[in-house]
Amino acid sequence: MILSYQKRILLTAVIMLTALLLVMAALWLPPIKRDVKIMDALFVLDITDSMNVEDVSLNGDKVSRLEWAKEFTRRAFLDMPCGAHAGLAIFSEARSLILMNPVEVCASYNDLTRMLDEFDPHMAWARSSEVSKAVYTAIRQAKEIEPEPTIVFLTDGHESPPIHESLFPRFDGKPGDIQGVLVGIGGEDLLPIPKTNEAGEIEGVWDVNDVMHQDVYASLRADTTTNVPTKRTEHLSSQKKAHLKTLADRVGFEFLSSPRSPGKLVDAVRDVSVTRPQTIDYDLYLWLAGIALGLILLVYLPYGFFIRTDD
Amino acid sequence: MWLSWNTPWLLWLLPLALLPWLSHNTDKRVAWQAMLPHDGMSRFITFALKLLSTLLIAALLLAMAGPHIPEQWVERSRQGAEFVILLDRSRSMDDIFNRPPRNLLPRKAFSTRSKRQVSGDYLSEFIKRRPDDRFGYILFSTTATEILPLTYNRDAVLATVKAGSLGKGLSQTDIHRALVKAASMFEGEPYRGSRNILLISDGGVAITAEEKQALEQLLSKMRLNLYWIYLRSMRGMTLDPGDDDNLLWMEMPERKLHQFFETLQTPYQAFEAGSLEEFAAAIDEIDRQQYQPLIVEERLPKQSRRAVFLWLALLSSLLLVAARVYTVWGVTRAFERKR
Repeated sequence: MILSYQKRILLTAVIMLTALLLVMAALWLPPIKRDVKIMDALFVLDITDSMNVEDVSLNGDKVSRLEWAKEFTRRAFLDMPCGAHAGLAIFSEARSLILMNPVEVCASYNDLTRMLDEFDPHMAWARSSEVSKAVYTAIRQAKEIEPEPTIVFLTDGHESPPIHESLFPRFDGKPGDIQGVLVGIGGEDLLPIPKTNEAGEIEGVWDVNDVMHQDVYASLRADTTTNVPTKRTEHLSSQKKAHLKTLADRVGFEFLSSPRSPGKLVDAVRDVSVTRPQTIDYDLYLWLAGIALGLILLVYLPYGFFIRTDD
Repeated sequence: MWLSWNTPWLLWLLPLALLPWLSHNTDKRVAWQAMLPHDGMSRFITFALKLLSTLLIAALLLAMAGPHIPEQWVERSRQGAEFVILLDRSRSMDDIFNRPPRNLLPRKAFSTRSKRQVSGDYLSEFIKRRPDDRFGYILFSTTATEILPLTYNRDAVLATVKAGSLGKGLSQTDIHRALVKAASMFEGEPYRGSRNILLISDGGVAITAEEKQALEQLLSKMRLNLYWIYLRSMRGMTLDPGDDDNLLWMEMPERKLHQFFETLQTPYQAFEAGSLEEFAAAIDEIDRQQYQPLIVEERLPKQSRRAVFLWLALLSSLLLVAARVYTVWGVTRAFERKR
């Protein structure tokens, strides 16, 4: 297509004039209102011994499950939209302990991450790991928080002492009262669990005779259907997917096994959460300036290299 | 004063600003060079217009990259103090605060809130009253962890205090470790103003002689003040020995702890809160005492500087548009005359 000189001059003037108007709009157009969906989430991190097993990878490195959980939580904070709220809790023994109620995630990001950095096995106040009961307490306490947060429970699902399927701890609440996501962490293989001492320092690993291998109540029964000899592998740990799935169904949570990115986790949280809309000011300047720049570049692109203009 | 950029990769596109010097889209091919006027003025105008176009492209790119002055912390002088909060999480704190004795018929309705909930309420109120203070929070059971390092962010402090009144207590509490942790939070910090530890508990623990010595040194080294709001667990018992004391009270660990605190060089004050009124009075008193000069760090939020670049783009495009419109006018006239 060859444009005459006159037309080129006119077209250039029109384009420049449009660009000028766009720049003016970028300067003076007030921000428009836009609704974003925000949610409240309570991140509960398992800090029991089994979380020290190093069988997950993060940026190509083998790290412990706890490191992974901390890093994923931190990145999830970043992926949450401003206005969303996030809180933090830890799980040890048989309960979840809420440490910070949900706060606005952008304004308090610094404090949230500093608290997260402190999460360490030495915070554990006992050396047992009863995941299902901890999920129940998290749900009970979430009900006391206003507005009720979605629970994001990061765990490997390792129950110690073990529980028998028919003797599952009773859940008093109604499934789905509190929304939540169970995030499974850990690999497929059974690996030895580092053992922490009173001060939280790692001292060797849990030995086969250090732990119980059967449900306490089942072991007391004469009934051979519940009291069956099992493989003695409870001193080893892997991600207990089947158990976590059962647990998630019981309390009406979503189960997400080893999410690949924090974005996926935040999406899952958003899907299950009762989100509320929040109006934010959205500035169009970037679009306006971008279009203006595009138009101006159209004027100056060196077409001469491709098209011959003869007049 | 340096600018930061939201999307710095856009700056890689800056060479695009050189395009006006390469493009000949609006040139007119002329049969004979000598027909062109060679005056200095028009050469200058051509140069100026190209420069303006470069400026326009660069300014738009820079504006799009989101220039801003990053958030800064500035030191201001205010009135206030720094507090580390130690809230006892032991099981006994789950008991009802100021419960009337069971063997008496209560004359007036009493609150059924636990000691921990009541403490949480008063702490929240205290924090809300003091806008410039810096707060830290320590969680202590068998070990102590500074879950909230000293911060000015009151939302985070209040959320942590609120979380502290949820759920049930923990089995063991080690006040000694918590005090050591609280003192060490000021390690390496410049002295900004009054530093305080606010301990709220309903019991004491025995501390060994070596622990006492180490703690005493640490507390005075860090120049701390110690406040203890003691929630009475036994009716009638006071921290200071009285004349008609029950024999059972002599060896109570809280009395031992109180005696030890009193021997410290550290300024120490104990408040015995047996009722809501006493609790409120204690909080008021601490609030009143702790208005001293304090250096606080205030956050200046990031300031966008894109308007500067947009104005630059606006001015240059205004001139360019004027030039273009004039050209259109001139060219149209020239072609008309030719016809």
